[in-house]
Amino acid sequence: MAAGVAAWLPFARAAAIGWMPVASTPMPIPPQDKRKAQDGFIILNVSGTKFQTWRTTLERYPDTLLGSTERDFFFHEETSEYFFDRDPDIFRHILNFYRTGKLHYPRQECISAYDEELAFFGIIPEIIGDCCYEEYKDRRRENAERLQDDEEMDMNNDVAPLNLTFREYLWRAFENPHTSTLALVFYYVTGFFIAISVMANVVETVPCGTLPNRSKEVSCGDRYALAFFCLDTACVMIFTVEYLLRLIAAPSRCKFMKSVMSVIDVVAIMPYYIGLVMTDNDQVSGAFVTLRVFRVFRIFKFSRHSAGLRILGYTLKSCASELGFLLFSLTMAIIIFATVMFYAEKGSTATKFTSIPAAFWYTIVTMTTLGYGDMVPKTIVGKVFGSICSLSGVLVIALPVPVIVSNFSRIYHQSQRAEKRRAQRKTRLARIRAAKIRGTNAYMRYKQNGLLIDALEEEAGKALVGKSASPPFESQHHHLLHCLEKTTNHEFVDEQTFQANCMEISVVNKSGSRTSSLSSSPHGLSSCCSRRHRKKSSFSLPSTNNQELSTIQIRERPVSNSRSSLNAKLDETVPLKCDEAYISPSMVRLSAPVATSSDDASTATTTYSQSNIVRVSAL
Amino acid sequence: MPLCLSSIFSSLFSSLSAIVLNFLLCFLKDDTSDSDLELSMVRHQPEGLDQLQAQTQFTRKELQSLYRGFKNECPSGLVDEETFKTIYSQFFPQGDATRYAHFLFNAFDIDRNGSIRFVDFVLGLSVLLRGSVTEKLRWAFNLYDINKDGYITKEEMLEIMTSIYDMMGRYTLPSVRDDSPFEHVEKFFQKMDRNRDGVVTIDEFIETCQKDENIMASMQLFENVI
Repeated sequence: MAAGVAAWLPFARAAAIGWMPVASTPMPIPPQDKRKAQDGFIILNVSGTKFQTWRTTLERYPDTLLGSTERDFFFHEETSEYFFDRDPDIFRHILNFYRTGKLHYPRQECISAYDEELAFFGIIPEIIGDCCYEEYKDRRRENAERLQDDEEMDMNNDVAPLNLTFREYLWRAFENPHTSTLALVFYYVTGFFIAISVMANVVETVPCGTLPNRSKEVSCGDRYALAFFCLDTACVMIFTVEYLLRLIAAPSRCKFMKSVMSVIDVVAIMPYYIGLVMTDNDQVSGAFVTLRVFRVFRIFKFSRHSAGLRILGYTLKSCASELGFLLFSLTMAIIIFATVMFYAEKGSTATKFTSIPAAFWYTIVTMTTLGYGDMVPKTIVGKVFGSICSLSGVLVIALPVPVIVSNFSRIYHQSQRAEKRRAQRKTRLARIRAAKIRGTNAYMRYKQNGLLIDALEEEAGKALVGKSASPPFESQHHHLLHCLEKTTNHEFVDEQTFQANCMEISVVNKSGSRTSSLSSSPHGLSSCCSRRHRKKSSFSLPSTNNQELSTIQIRERPVSNSRSSLNAKLDETVPLKCDEAYISPSMVRLSAPVATSSDDASTATTTYSQSNIVRVSAL
Repeated sequence: MPLCLSSIFSSLFSSLSAIVLNFLLCFLKDDTSDSDLELSMVRHQPEGLDQLQAQTQFTRKELQSLYRGFKNECPSGLVDEETFKTIYSQFFPQGDATRYAHFLFNAFDIDRNGSIRFVDFVLGLSVLLRGSVTEKLRWAFNLYDINKDGYITKEEMLEIMTSIYDMMGRYTLPSVRDDSPFEHVEKFFQKMDRNRDGVVTIDEFIETCQKDENIMASMQLFENVI
């Protein structure tokens, strides 16, 4: 509908004749329509595929490339058509946008390519119609996540620059154990101790045979109390040291302390310390026993070591609403069926359904199809409702479970893809590096040849030595690189030479002396040795494309206002919001002299009124 | 005790069966509503280009361009009142243009069948843009005469005036008072109603307008809109 609003404007203006007889003041002069609608064809040649459309179709959206004078840059005089060296398949959708006013996103296209085309033609992605918007946004999000993953990986795989503080080094070691052997050792040691601690908790409770002076069995924990205590102490010491080190190393201590893992760490070691502090009297021993239960939370410390566990946790978090729904519906069903069963079984003698809360247990056991059999209905009515209860239990539980499962599967596959990409990355980068080396080798050869040729030329004085048979593009490129070298007074070298140089320089640096050759570029020293692969984000939309629709100012003026003057000299850049009080603009109107049909005023207002309506249609 | 249990049982059963029956009925009803939907998507074709050219004062090219715009917006070839109101309201976002759009719709919909076809649209535009001043005045009179009885009464004029003032919206300077339309109608009738009989006839209307220079000048205003 938006595009059409502009098409109906002539109609609205014509209908304004209806106000003329009742108007009490004379009408303003209409703007001169200088550009009489040359309703001709425009031929758009996109990489050979010719598209034809009416000129007015394109001009519906004057803030895009095709609708504005920007397209004149692409005009090809010999064939009198507009030539664009872009993808014709995607262009089809863009042209359809002009025709129908709706932008669609084709599912088979790559999201980055599509976004680039949109950016080129000056179309905001937010205009994508409702039918395709969801798909588009999902793909965008996936792409952004992928890029973020790659960036994170990049940052992680960087060789550590030398000038990290000890604190940062420690943090890196903790977060990414693969960076150094020490970190790896620490990682495995903590893992081992977590396992030991958990197993000790478990084994403690196993009956270990009887003591000589007692008749009943004691658990292993009581029998070998000292041993277990020593083991517990050792584990807790390791955990405490680890926690304190992490706390010291954390770049943001508050954030670290609020994070889930740190909370788990604290909960894992607190019971021990509380137990130490507390004395062994009866009042608090009950609480002490409860505290011991918290020791089992140490098993959650494994989530740092296992990605799968993290995925599970993340899934549950992201499915919170489905889980909540499951819980809510189950609770509703439990209450309903428990009530029914209670009243159904009220009559029978010696029934276990003594109260509705007592019936809860039966309902839960039945709905989850466990069926312990400790509570069974005896009356016929009870049995009927009991069977309905078990049938509905299956349904209620089966409904949200696939949602949770599909969520888990999606997240799991995403992490799998991340792993795959990481593995593929290495081979990809190796191949790319090989290609680059070929290029630099070609450049080296060019330079050598050039020097040779120069030398020969000098000697032989313009000898007829032909230039090396490289294509003109390459030779120009090489010349460019050469110029760059001369400019920066540095030279391009190949990798082996570079590594060799780095070794020398690092040796020199370690010895603490700065030779004169290095002093020329001290900063270049550190950058020389660090292979910073700053990957340029090729997926960078200009920020204007991401502006929210709300920021598109609706430059609307009351066209119907009979007192308004269409040729009022209003500044074009003043955005008039619709809900703004019109006190200020109308002041301007009244003070502005009623302009005669001066050309410049009318052209200004022509374009203004045109842009006026166009803003509406851009929505 | 067994009596109340059996009563519970029977009531539950009856309610369950009622729910099931409702479900089935819903499914049956769905089929009939679909067919209603199909009937309304009727396509309307306009008369031929030559006929339209004969009936109106537009050139062929102008008619072509008009039809393309019209068809783009209303692929079915008909504009119903709601669509018309929506389109017209988009030009006046700060006020409420629906009332005036309703009158405008009636002015265009000559045969009063609830929808504007292309031929109605183009005939109306032809009068407005290419017609003589008398024809335009006649059209305006037709617009104001809501019940199309040939007389404009004060009530009709008040309705039209209110709808025009509604399009202004709240934020105006000076602000629209409640009796502004009424005063305007009074002024209008003072000017137009020659014989002071409380109604304005077509002849009074045309005669008065032809004497008023402002109105005559403003009638020529939109000649070159298309």
